[in-house]
Amino acid sequence: MKKNRYILTAILGAGLLVSCSKSFLDQNPTNQVPEEQVFTTADNVETVINGTWSYAMETFFTFSVPGFTSILRASDAMGSDVAITTKYGLRDAYTFVEMVDNTKNRVSAYWTILYKVIDNANSIIARVDGVTGDEAKKARLKGQAYALRGWCYLTLASFYQFNPIVDPNAKAVPIYLTPTTPDTKGNPRATIKQVYDQAIADLVAAEPLVQGYSRGDASKKYKIDINVVEGLLARAYLQTQQWTLAQQKAAAARVGYPLMSPDDYLKGFNDVSNAEWIWGHPQTPNQSNASYNFHFLDVSSPGSYYYSFMADPFFKNFFDNGDVRTKLFDWDTLPSQEGYLRYKKFRFRDETALIGDFVLMRSGEMALIEAEAYARSGNTAAAAARLNELRTARSAYNYVPGAGNIIDTILVERRKELWGEGFSLSDIIRTNGTVVRKAFTAYNGTDSVINVPRGNGTFKQVKAKGHRTLRFPDGTPFVPQSKYYLFSIPLSEVQNNPNL
Amino acid sequence: MLVLLGPLTGFAQSRTVTGTVYSARDKEPLPGATIVVKGTSNGTATGPDGSFRLEVKDPAATTLVVTYVGMTPQEVGITATPIRVELTSSSKDIDEVVVIAYGTGKKNSLTGSVATIKGDALENRQISSVSRGLQGQVAGVQSTAQSGQPGTDATIRIRGVGSINASSDPLYVVDGAPYLGSINAINPSDIESISVLKDAASSALYGSRGANGVIIITTKKGKGQGTTINARVSQGYSKRAVDNYKTMSTDDYFRLYWEALRNTGITNGLSPAQAAASASSNVVGDLGINPYGTAYPQPVGTDGKLVQGAHTLWNDDWDKAMQRTGHRTQADLSISGTSEKSRYYIAGGYLDDQGIYLGSGFKRYTVRSNVELDAKKWLKVGLNLAGAHSDQQAPPSEDSRSDNYVNYGRLMPSFYPIYQRDPATGAYVHDAAGNRVFDYGDYRPSASNPNTNLVQTADIDKHNVLRDDISARVYGEATIWDQLKFKTTYSADYSQRMTHDYTNPTLGFDAPIGGTVARGSYRTFSWTWNNIFTYDKTFDEKHHISILAGQEAYKYKFTFLEGNRSGFSLPGLDEPADASVLLGFTGYTDATSISSYLSRVEYDYKGKYFFSGSLRRDGSSRFSPDRRWGTFWSIGGSWKMTEEAWLKSSNWLDLLTLRASYGAQGNDNLGSFYGYKALYVVNSNLGEGGTYRDTLANSNLKWETNLNLNVGVDWSMFNNRFGGTVEFFERKSKDLLYQQPLAPSTGYPSIARNIGALRNRGVDITLRGVPVNTRDFNWTIELNATHYKNVVTSLPQKEIISGTKKLMEGKSIYEFYLRQWAGVDEKTGAPLWYVIDANGNKTTTSNYAAGTLAYAGSALPDLYGGINNTFTYKGLSFSFMWAYSLGGKVLDNDYPFLMHTGNNFGRAWSAEMLNRWTPENTKTDVPALTTNNTNWTSASTRFLYDASYARLKTVNLSYQLPKALMDKAHLNGITVYVQGENLITIYNHKGMDPEQAVSGVTYYRYPAIKSVSAGINLSF
Repeated sequence: MKKNRYILTAILGAGLLVSCSKSFLDQNPTNQVPEEQVFTTADNVETVINGTWSYAMETFFTFSVPGFTSILRASDAMGSDVAITTKYGLRDAYTFVEMVDNTKNRVSAYWTILYKVIDNANSIIARVDGVTGDEAKKARLKGQAYALRGWCYLTLASFYQFNPIVDPNAKAVPIYLTPTTPDTKGNPRATIKQVYDQAIADLVAAEPLVQGYSRGDASKKYKIDINVVEGLLARAYLQTQQWTLAQQKAAAARVGYPLMSPDDYLKGFNDVSNAEWIWGHPQTPNQSNASYNFHFLDVSSPGSYYYSFMADPFFKNFFDNGDVRTKLFDWDTLPSQEGYLRYKKFRFRDETALIGDFVLMRSGEMALIEAEAYARSGNTAAAAARLNELRTARSAYNYVPGAGNIIDTILVERRKELWGEGFSLSDIIRTNGTVVRKAFTAYNGTDSVINVPRGNGTFKQVKAKGHRTLRFPDGTPFVPQSKYYLFSIPLSEVQNNPNL
Repeated sequence: MLVLLGPLTGFAQSRTVTGTVYSARDKEPLPGATIVVKGTSNGTATGPDGSFRLEVKDPAATTLVVTYVGMTPQEVGITATPIRVELTSSSKDIDEVVVIAYGTGKKNSLTGSVATIKGDALENRQISSVSRGLQGQVAGVQSTAQSGQPGTDATIRIRGVGSINASSDPLYVVDGAPYLGSINAINPSDIESISVLKDAASSALYGSRGANGVIIITTKKGKGQGTTINARVSQGYSKRAVDNYKTMSTDDYFRLYWEALRNTGITNGLSPAQAAASASSNVVGDLGINPYGTAYPQPVGTDGKLVQGAHTLWNDDWDKAMQRTGHRTQADLSISGTSEKSRYYIAGGYLDDQGIYLGSGFKRYTVRSNVELDAKKWLKVGLNLAGAHSDQQAPPSEDSRSDNYVNYGRLMPSFYPIYQRDPATGAYVHDAAGNRVFDYGDYRPSASNPNTNLVQTADIDKHNVLRDDISARVYGEATIWDQLKFKTTYSADYSQRMTHDYTNPTLGFDAPIGGTVARGSYRTFSWTWNNIFTYDKTFDEKHHISILAGQEAYKYKFTFLEGNRSGFSLPGLDEPADASVLLGFTGYTDATSISSYLSRVEYDYKGKYFFSGSLRRDGSSRFSPDRRWGTFWSIGGSWKMTEEAWLKSSNWLDLLTLRASYGAQGNDNLGSFYGYKALYVVNSNLGEGGTYRDTLANSNLKWETNLNLNVGVDWSMFNNRFGGTVEFFERKSKDLLYQQPLAPSTGYPSIARNIGALRNRGVDITLRGVPVNTRDFNWTIELNATHYKNVVTSLPQKEIISGTKKLMEGKSIYEFYLRQWAGVDEKTGAPLWYVIDANGNKTTTSNYAAGTLAYAGSALPDLYGGINNTFTYKGLSFSFMWAYSLGGKVLDNDYPFLMHTGNNFGRAWSAEMLNRWTPENTKTDVPALTTNNTNWTSASTRFLYDASYARLKTVNLSYQLPKALMDKAHLNGITVYVQGENLITIYNHKGMDPEQAVSGVTYYRYPAIKSVSAGINLSF
């Protein structure tokens, strides 16, 4: 009997020792991988390019900040041609109280997205040479990393300081070229010129590395190839007034991407397979966070939740009657949006899944960069030719040399062609220009009432609504070089970067 | 080795004496009583059931001495049959046995700080989670039940806040093993007692996880003779404990919105006349509806007043419509008892706790079986098995999303009809069947949730959480030799939480995409296996020594799965199989493990001087192999002065004990399981695999350590009519596990580090009195109070700002750091904040971002606790408890939603907005109205309020039917009672429930409820 208890104790004691094996305390995550496991082969490094892209495009900060393309929304909300309604989303950016305020979520979100991409690009640039795999692939990955980094610095340069023509030595944002380590303290702000130089240097470094890379079918248009790099360079040169280079790169970027047909222009700007799109971000039902941007852009689909990107009624006056783009205008008579001028350029591609692809670069923009670069370097004939190439494609009247300043005409054409694609504020900053918003009222200051034809032949009288914010929040009129145009550096950066 | 030792004991010829020791007063078994053969050191102690077994080797021995602290020692003869001993109180004090780490102890003999709550204190409470029963009961325990959603737990902080980023939650131990199941799966009716371990000496044995205190829950066991059946049923009703924020009427809303439009027009450069005309013509258009009817197309005139004759055709109260009177039913049945070789407790429970908001509630079914067998003379085995199934309806209520059920009704103004109305007459619109038609408000502006009507869809949509919890404790205890025992316990907690969120395809939020369904599975499985040797012996009737040593292994595994789809094929279906578009599917597993070795020695001399010491080593998988082991220890001592000859004779002092302890405990719970590794998140992009750099490695990460000092005195006097405990404590946390913020331009918001140190220093006071004690009438009063100061004592950098707080040496971790509200500009009506320069000079700005951040007081209370009163008269008992919390601040994030200046038009306005700045009303702290966002509702001291409150937590009136009656009915007892919870709240800031998160920030939570219930308990 006593023996039994000792035997039992011995058995339990043995079991006890078994449980103390060393590996018992080694646990690993299943949805994360250690760094050393990633940087082994070129194939694995490619996942960092993909993952970083997905992070940038699909991370929700709030529902009003769904990923990188939300930066483009803010750029338009802070311009002249979109009359943002009071619905949730971009309304505070529109009234110039959001991006100037370093406590706002949108301010820290944009900053976070851009620098997260920069750190991942730095990580690839620093480590891709050391992995196994095809040398050409390694070179291409490195090129894509350079391009991603250049793109982020170009974006930072576009919004965080005035153009170098104002003051090349104005402090802009920090530059990081190596991956962050636990000891990284934060870098000081570089000058706006240094940031542009870095962006251009990165893109130039990317050029030879992605040369010859073919990304495959249209569904891969989010991948960076030589056309994308040339297009980014064209933008960077345009912003830094290097006209010849801007024209050359824009021309190179659009090789293989003909201007779309008039019909395609009316299809909702939601499909990456559009012939004119050089760079875009596709959406699928199970990768659709970015699509939330369409809830702001899309003013006509029933599923659109905020439909706040209405057109300024004055914007309509820029167009000729025959222009295919005018077909997108429609005075709204629906409840809660009555009297707004809808510009139905953006529509969900799939109204059940509420998704739509995002355009990031297309030939129309490149044609206009070419036109502007020619115009600014004095070649009016070539400029008019490029401008009219686009106008013809849009079934609009051709520009006749002498009928108005060609540069102004091209800048207006950019507003017409690229409405809602994110160029409003960056163009204002680039040209040292100003926001222009007027009240859409009758000549005597009272409401402007218009008759809207309905499908059944009747008319409905509605009070037209245009811009609701006509001044800066401090009550002063819109002027060039206003602090309200610049994106502020988030408070968390100010508080935690001793070198800023 | 044990096997070798064994045969040594086989020689002596011995008799075995068995028996049970009871308290003469209440016939309850007395665990921990000492039985010694007279004149020798041969002895034993009674087990938890009061029984003992002693081998008497000396054939000449005839007498046993039975002793128990606070009881008169008794001598009994040695017999062959089981002995029943009843000890009477020595009238000095009645000592209670309390459950402590890995065992039990006598309360007045402990060196550490342990507070207990008896099961009866919870039995009649209207609580679905045990964690809610602790508030106001125990000194040092800060409990806030910030959500009134049925089935939610309260947040518990024991003696301050021990950590910043790592968890500050106490460790729950159920029946001897750390418990990681759902707290709400434990039926409060099954609880025998709760012990709260507050200091190092009591909790260091849970070293690795005891840093924030330990809450030991012990479930009921069979006791007494024969079988007892208990049944209880209760019914209750509940509503909101405090009223919601007061909002303004439709008339006021329209006038004020006109004013906002007019003011904006003037800002935009219109003349006053133009601005007024434009405002009059736009009020209805902006708000989307005209509650004055089509007869008044412009109900607000250009003078800003309602036009003559205009009156509202309807006034709907959405907040009321989103609520109801909650209904609660609870029924429990238990069978318990003992037989010759077994003790058992078998119970089942049912609870249906309906919430006060539509679509919220909690249903629970529990079963428990606690069985213990004397398998052999030397072997005891037991199994405690508990199962719970619950179905919680938990609509969004702690979230800023627009379908937050609490916010939805609160933010909807009265002029939006719940049911469709005729725009001319205001009459209800009826459908073909003659029913009212819900109004989904496609005309509403975005601030008032167009195309939704939660009043209807709350009954259609689902936000369900199904939980299945199984908790098992299986143990065997062998007496190896004399008083050397070995106990092995395997404990497993399995918890499966399955969420089902469904929005319907035809109405409301997700109608455009055909409805959505998400199913999530959250499975946790944790086990603990411990193997403990104990040795307990009294030498020469003076030296009592108790030794414990053992080993423990623990593993926790969490598996998550979630998938969601949209686009239902047909209405009326709500499972993923019924929806057409796959939106996402994801899942992962996390695991963590701890391996430990532990030991404890306790010694006392003549029941007068007590010493204890413990040592434990833990290895945690959360740290790198070089850093994972931590050593935790404690020492403690106490001196029972009333056992000294010079005090023993005192006729007014019954008990006086001094206690002190010191020790170190650990904390590894940083939230992240793998903080020491450099990790890339795995994601995907459009069908291709993806990863990105997410976590910066810190291989030096190690245990956070808590150094805990406790000095206390317990006393009891005047025949135990007045007594109490006063304890001073100091908890010093060092090597705090902290997510240290980084400049976001580095690509990372933070890095996990051991930084800085924290100190909680304070005092716990418990006072007990019996002001009246006659044969029939008795009044007892108990008061507890805790005061503590939380201070950051060391930081690696000057300051760390996180959210609304700033960490700095010398300040508390919950010290608000906010922009300072400077009032409203009397000239312009603009909101102002202070700008404070380096010299402390103050100027003001109307630009929120330019305002200076400054300290604005702490969220932590100065004093908190409870006051308990019980009156009994014969079978009648009346008791009530106030819980209170004095001092501290709360930042109300809910209220600013109602305080917009017109920029969120369509959202309800608080009545306080009527006091807005106008040229006539310039001295106010509500700015002028404008549809532009002035940021005035952003976090500032404007919305910081005093958090003090007192709450009548419970009131109970019960009547126990006279015994004579019950004997006739063959019953042991019948008690009927009425019980109230949260009936009265005394607080300052109306509208906001004062029970909010410890950090002092509100988050649109489900408010606390008050309830009244009646019940009956039967025992036969």
